[in-house]
Amino acid sequence: MKPFIDTLNVLLPILYIITFIIYSYDFGRGNNKYANSKRLFLFITLLVHLSYLLLRTMKFEHPPITNVFEIFTVIAFAIAFSYFILELLTDIRGTGPFIIIFSVLFQTISSIFITDEFFVKEVLKNNLLGFHVFTALIGYSAITISAVYGFLYLMLYKEIKTNRFGLIYERMPNLEVLEQLSFYSAVIGFAMLTIAIIIGLIWLPQAFPKFSFIDPKIIGTALVWILYGVGILSKVLGKWQGKKLVAILIGGFLIAILSTMVTNFISQSFHSFY
Amino acid sequence: MNILTVAINHHTAPVEIREALHLNEDEVRALTLKAKEKIFKEGFILSTCNRTEIYCIPKNLNTLHKDIQDFLLNEKPGLNVSGEHFQYFSSTDAVKHLFSIITGINSQLIGDNQIFKQVKSSFQIADDLQSSGFLLRHLFASATHAGKRAITETGISEGAVTISFAAVQLIEKIFSSLGKKTALVIGAGETGEIAAKHLRDRGIGKLTITNRTQERADQLAETLMCSTIPFLDFKKQLHQFDIIISATSSNDLILTKDDISTSIKTRKGSTIILMDIAVPRDIDPESKELDHVFYKDIDSLNIIIEHNLKKRHSEIPKVEKIIKEELEEFSSWYSSLDAAPTIRTLREHFENIRAEEVKKNKNKFTESDQDKLEIITKRIINKLLHHPTTELKKAAEQENDSAITKTKVGILKEMFGIDQHHPENNEKEK
Repeated sequence: MKPFIDTLNVLLPILYIITFIIYSYDFGRGNNKYANSKRLFLFITLLVHLSYLLLRTMKFEHPPITNVFEIFTVIAFAIAFSYFILELLTDIRGTGPFIIIFSVLFQTISSIFITDEFFVKEVLKNNLLGFHVFTALIGYSAITISAVYGFLYLMLYKEIKTNRFGLIYERMPNLEVLEQLSFYSAVIGFAMLTIAIIIGLIWLPQAFPKFSFIDPKIIGTALVWILYGVGILSKVLGKWQGKKLVAILIGGFLIAILSTMVTNFISQSFHSFY
Repeated sequence: MNILTVAINHHTAPVEIREALHLNEDEVRALTLKAKEKIFKEGFILSTCNRTEIYCIPKNLNTLHKDIQDFLLNEKPGLNVSGEHFQYFSSTDAVKHLFSIITGINSQLIGDNQIFKQVKSSFQIADDLQSSGFLLRHLFASATHAGKRAITETGISEGAVTISFAAVQLIEKIFSSLGKKTALVIGAGETGEIAAKHLRDRGIGKLTITNRTQERADQLAETLMCSTIPFLDFKKQLHQFDIIISATSSNDLILTKDDISTSIKTRKGSTIILMDIAVPRDIDPESKELDHVFYKDIDSLNIIIEHNLKKRHSEIPKVEKIIKEELEEFSSWYSSLDAAPTIRTLREHFENIRAEEVKKNKNKFTESDQDKLEIITKRIINKLLHHPTTELKKAAEQENDSAITKTKVGILKEMFGIDQHHPENNEKEK
């Protein structure tokens, strides 16, 4: 099984890159020549990815959520899967390359650095951790998608404002739809992050003696949560919308990325597991 | 192929001459009937604001383009029109010209698909007046096929190429559902009316019109079944509208940046679209600096139009390829109307049916009778085909390549289902 898992590990970034190229080609040409085949290719990639995740779980006897590179492959899957569902529901196919690129990045980094973890720290063998990570991953995938749609909103907004009617103008759905896609993704992300934070606050102090509220990841996540909370509330109350709202959602995503980088690669945090 | 075309259009004649030669539907009908009497064996007349063209298979083989041109000019005497204002096409070139018109690449506004409907209705008139025959009907089927392919397989008709349509297209790039939006049209002149019609056709939620002359606003509102507000009051209600289209003939600004700014504040930052399609402009262009305000004037909309026209131009080679394919298909069909190959195909067709039936039923006969069955059935087929075959041979010898022979051959092929080149048959096969 191990050689097969290794092969899939190499194959996955290639599959995502090919999917990204097909989506980009169709976006560039604008003729929807591969409208159905690109969706099918994404579906096949997702199936391969799901098999990879299941096989890894069976082989290493734990779900791939115990270190950052395992988490990256799950995030790559979650983003591509969410996009796939979104595409099926809305039939908006022009935004694919902008979202699948994130799956390409996460999967490539994961495939390069992922190690075979047969032994998992005792602290990580907990059901609450499973829920915590699962909800956090869906939350982060959702806010990534929200940020992409927000970014596309800003690009289209600028093109229309400045009379530069280029590819974005031609291929994107209208501003209101982009805002809605960004907002609803943010709502899902916010709900999931809220659950992840609640579980984290219950489980982390029990599991880690070094637990601290001034941990960079806790501060970062709290900031992201507050920003999204403010954004969503102001939209619901009808105070902010359009560009302002989208800017906040993108800001939340950037802080989330920054917080992940600081926690995992720069600072010492109790929240690092490898 | 004795098809002749005489055309006067925007490539050859100025607008005054085109206008003068334009024929309304009644005139087209009258002229077609007259032509049927004097010139047409089959024919139709196409007359739009940009072109007047006659397509025909003349009764007399000696009829020249000039004769058809004179026939047309006789209807509109006193015009200062010379031969230079006309284009002449014959045979395959005439067919190609019709294909280029129906696909929109010959139009002044490239890709204008209105011409498709115009050609169709012109032909319908000819058909009603029994001025179309076997050949023209097939030509029209091929032309329609080419036109439909151009629309569906290329981007020749995509994108807005008029100011008011470009404005609506841009609005749809900002708002998702016009059914939930409100629009105010300032100015009930021709431009305002077109814009208002476009909005109504796109299903705008609420349409309101305001005009300096209230009477004119009321008239337009009645036509479009929408509401009006008095011109002096509309600024107070500005915040109620998501879309404002201004098309007045005022020399001064009607809406200032402050008016818009106040409206945006009342709307709590909700997006507003300002389409200033008036010259000189009605809305302060500085308004575009405000957040959540999309201000567009004629120049901005012209950018979209130019962009779309450029794209349409880039689609011309694809359309030309379709025309080439359809022309080859039509020519191939026309060539198939020669007598000799038709006789051969007809005989093969009957022989296939005979052989198949004999094969199916020969077991019902004794071995000695099976040979007789072959002989008898062949004899029946020969007798059945004797008369049509000799008639066709005679026609071909006497008047080879004439429209009459082609028509006879064509009808025969259609009746026995051996017409492999007819577009409708091909579609069925696909």
